[in-house]
Amino acid sequence: MSENDFSNVNSYLSFKLGEEEFAANVGKVLNILEMTKITEVPKAPNYMKGVINLRGAVLPVIDTRVKFGMSPAVYTPNTCIIVLDIDMDGESVHVGALVDSVQAVLELEKEKILPPPSIGSKYKSEFIEGVANVDDRFVMILDMDMVFSSNELTNMKDTAVETAKTADIEEVGL
Amino acid sequence: MDNFKKKFIEEAYDLIDSLEKSLLVLEDNPEDIQIIQQVFRIMHTLKGNSAMFGFVSIDQFTHNLETLYDSIRNGKLKVNRSILDITLESVDHLKRLLDEDSEKDVDVDRQHQALLDRMAQIVVGASMTSLELKLDKSTGVTSDGNAKTYFIYFEPKEEIFRNGTNPLYLIDELHTLGHAISFAHLTKVPRIADIAYDQCYTYWEIILATPHNVGAISDVFIFVEDESTLEISQISNKNLLADNDFLAALNGIAAEGNDIGIAAIQKLASRANHTKVKAQLEMANNGKSKPKDTIISSIRVSADKLDQLMNLVSELVTTQARLSLFAEQNPVPGLLAISENVQKLSRQLRDNAFSIVLIPIDNMLTRFQRLVRDLSKELGKDVVFLTEGAETELDKTIIEGLTDPLMHILRNSLDHGIEDAAVRKQKGKPAQGKIILKAFYSGANVHIQIYDDGAGIDPEKIRHKAISQGIITPEKKLTNKEIFDIIFLPGFSTATKVTDVSGRGVGMDVVRRKIAEIRGEVEVDSELGVGTTITIKLPLTLSIIDGLLVKIEDTSFVIPLSVVDKIFAIEHAQLVNKFNNLVVLDGAQVPFFYLREEFNMDVNDTTHFEEIVVVKFEEKRVGLAVDTVIGEYQAVLKPLGKHFKSHEMISGATILGDGTVALVMDTNKMIKTFLSKAPIDK
Amino acid sequence: MAKVILIVDDSESIREVVSFTLENEGFNVLAAVDGNDALRFLDNSPIDLIITDLHMPNMDGIALIKEVRAMEFYKHVPILFLTTESQAAKKMEAKEAGATGWIIKPFVPTKLIAALSKVMR
Repeated sequence: MSENDFSNVNSYLSFKLGEEEFAANVGKVLNILEMTKITEVPKAPNYMKGVINLRGAVLPVIDTRVKFGMSPAVYTPNTCIIVLDIDMDGESVHVGALVDSVQAVLELEKEKILPPPSIGSKYKSEFIEGVANVDDRFVMILDMDMVFSSNELTNMKDTAVETAKTADIEEVGL
Repeated sequence: MDNFKKKFIEEAYDLIDSLEKSLLVLEDNPEDIQIIQQVFRIMHTLKGNSAMFGFVSIDQFTHNLETLYDSIRNGKLKVNRSILDITLESVDHLKRLLDEDSEKDVDVDRQHQALLDRMAQIVVGASMTSLELKLDKSTGVTSDGNAKTYFIYFEPKEEIFRNGTNPLYLIDELHTLGHAISFAHLTKVPRIADIAYDQCYTYWEIILATPHNVGAISDVFIFVEDESTLEISQISNKNLLADNDFLAALNGIAAEGNDIGIAAIQKLASRANHTKVKAQLEMANNGKSKPKDTIISSIRVSADKLDQLMNLVSELVTTQARLSLFAEQNPVPGLLAISENVQKLSRQLRDNAFSIVLIPIDNMLTRFQRLVRDLSKELGKDVVFLTEGAETELDKTIIEGLTDPLMHILRNSLDHGIEDAAVRKQKGKPAQGKIILKAFYSGANVHIQIYDDGAGIDPEKIRHKAISQGIITPEKKLTNKEIFDIIFLPGFSTATKVTDVSGRGVGMDVVRRKIAEIRGEVEVDSELGVGTTITIKLPLTLSIIDGLLVKIEDTSFVIPLSVVDKIFAIEHAQLVNKFNNLVVLDGAQVPFFYLREEFNMDVNDTTHFEEIVVVKFEEKRVGLAVDTVIGEYQAVLKPLGKHFKSHEMISGATILGDGTVALVMDTNKMIKTFLSKAPIDK
Repeated sequence: MAKVILIVDDSESIREVVSFTLENEGFNVLAAVDGNDALRFLDNSPIDLIITDLHMPNMDGIALIKEVRAMEFYKHVPILFLTTESQAAKKMEAKEAGATGWIIKPFVPTKLIAALSKVMR
């Protein structure tokens, strides 16, 4: 079973933020870490949770929920940090994404991935590479470079759909 | 082969750098024979090396330069303005030639020829022999100084005449390689009756002094080596034939008529060597120092290796921190002492490694001197460039980032700052303008200041321009400092005409940006009619700093020890609910910031005492209140990464002995940020 | 009196190059297209050096060298042959036949002159 570029099947790591399921191409995933003490950096943007020590290097950790406009993560035994290799302005940067849980590695055929809906979608389409139907669940495949490159709290939500601004508003389905 | 080429290019750049330096010194001391020798030596090396690696144009070019300086050192020519000018221009041309692609550039070609012509003119005036590159039979050998001495035994087989060989021709050829003495031996010649006229009975022993290597010598015998007995041995790495004692002894043995033999020669050779060495020793002891070759006091190390060294030193320091922690927490007899020793050694190693990576800015300054010299000439202004603190050391990456902005600032000073001679005279200033570059350490920073005694900046002009560009309103009151700061805004310019040299006098925003990239700051101060000072402040971004470890809530922070002034215990009550942010410490009023508040953390009501760390900030003292001060800590700086690039207060992180991350504070930025959101809101 | 050099090579361009180079150095150059042709020059008139290719029609270099060495008048005339690196065996053969030295093809004029000075004054 090939994991690489030449086949029609690509592997994705799926994870959950609340009830919603997302996926990232495993090519971008370096590691999955158990939740560990995160050193908070004062006066940092909301979504920057802080930094951790990853084998002698300092890794920034982003609260993915906050990035997606959800309430900050509440730690459970399932909470973990996905270590990603992101392309930021042409540079390879390591970043940790804090997620509620990690689900599985999905093998998805290219044909099975549908383009992101252009309207009526909760999230801006530039962050979403596509949508897949897995066992009757909808998994949103993310462009991790886009999601984690933006330095400000880019609103990931499609403003046409959004009605309230504060992060306290929970989304349907949560 | 490419590796050798790369090496050559690296070396060539270095040589050209020292050449430039020497030339600038030569300008002020045109009679100094030492410098002239040095310049000649550099040309010579450049020429020799370039030929080997296929840089034909450089070979030709430097050949002529070498000849020129040879004449100078022989007293046939004297160093003058035009010689210096052309040499400096040649240096620039050489740099271009080193860029391989330029070999095909037509302009470069033209310039090449132009420079050669000018050189020829200068030299013809001193009635020298032609500068043209001649195909010398003795393949590029100059002085006898490099000659080594060889002993050659050549016995051709008797039938050698049969294929038309004439051994005498070969002996002749040997002689052309240098200086030789040959002894033909006829001991093999039989009685007359038995001589066959077409047999060769002669054999030779030859002493040859030549700069050529063994290859060149055996080359002579290439057609006959299969048919002869041939032995070539080096008996000395000096020219023994110049040694009269050796010659006398040699002739003495030869006179006896027998073979001299390699053994006897070697004995003579070593005796000759010894005498020479003894003579040298005597001279040295008499205080007469012989002109020594440049001793290699430095070696070239690749930048990668330096990075590796720094990384390893950093890891050592981190591990040592863990060891110290462990030793404190686990009292094992003797362990604490060892851990302290390790700490001492790693500190020394760290200092040593830094001294390797840090480079004095002196190297950068040559470029600036050239710029001032060339530009002032072009502009027709008489300007002297002085430097102070050339020994100040900076990380090489910072130096690289500084060069462009400094060049720009210097250009501005020369173009817009220093006035024409006439204007200066009118103002009663000395005709010669002055530009001074000063470098010095200040607290946790390195300051680089450029001062010119030129026209200064007119704050009124700036104000007007700013108002007309809508940057400020006419009523706004600004201090001079704030006015000068406007210069750094993009697109701002008060220059009335665009010059080729520095454009519109704009680019200060680029300068500021470039300096920000190396985490520095730049400021301008000026007095109209008197002069302008531009100050660049750079943090010492050494990757290991001595710090003070403090704790606030659950997070550890490191404050660079170089900014720490004093630490006080302070009552909690004094920190909160204050009307102003002043506290009395040691009898003085000190402004302070309660970091818990500033960081939007909960205010600590539980403890009675907290600690306040007084740090140096600009010329003042400011207190930073923390929960506790833990102690001194050697912090290996780790970058926070791109996500935190614009963070104002934290300049990096470090990993503590227990694996947690501590944040390193940039107190200057921090305090500035606090102040800018200051009292009105509080 | 100028020295005389005989060049023997079936390739016209080689003959041209060698003639041109040597004439510039002040030699008189005779040119032959193969061994047979060369023999007509060997009429006991002075020849100071023979340069010959090895591979030629009618009479090749090796044969020519043997012929020359057999002649009383030309027994000791220096003979240089032209060879490519790969012809090691040929080199041995030519030397056994009596050649003085060799020049490796391709050669630049300076190499030619250098070889000359080993066998001729």
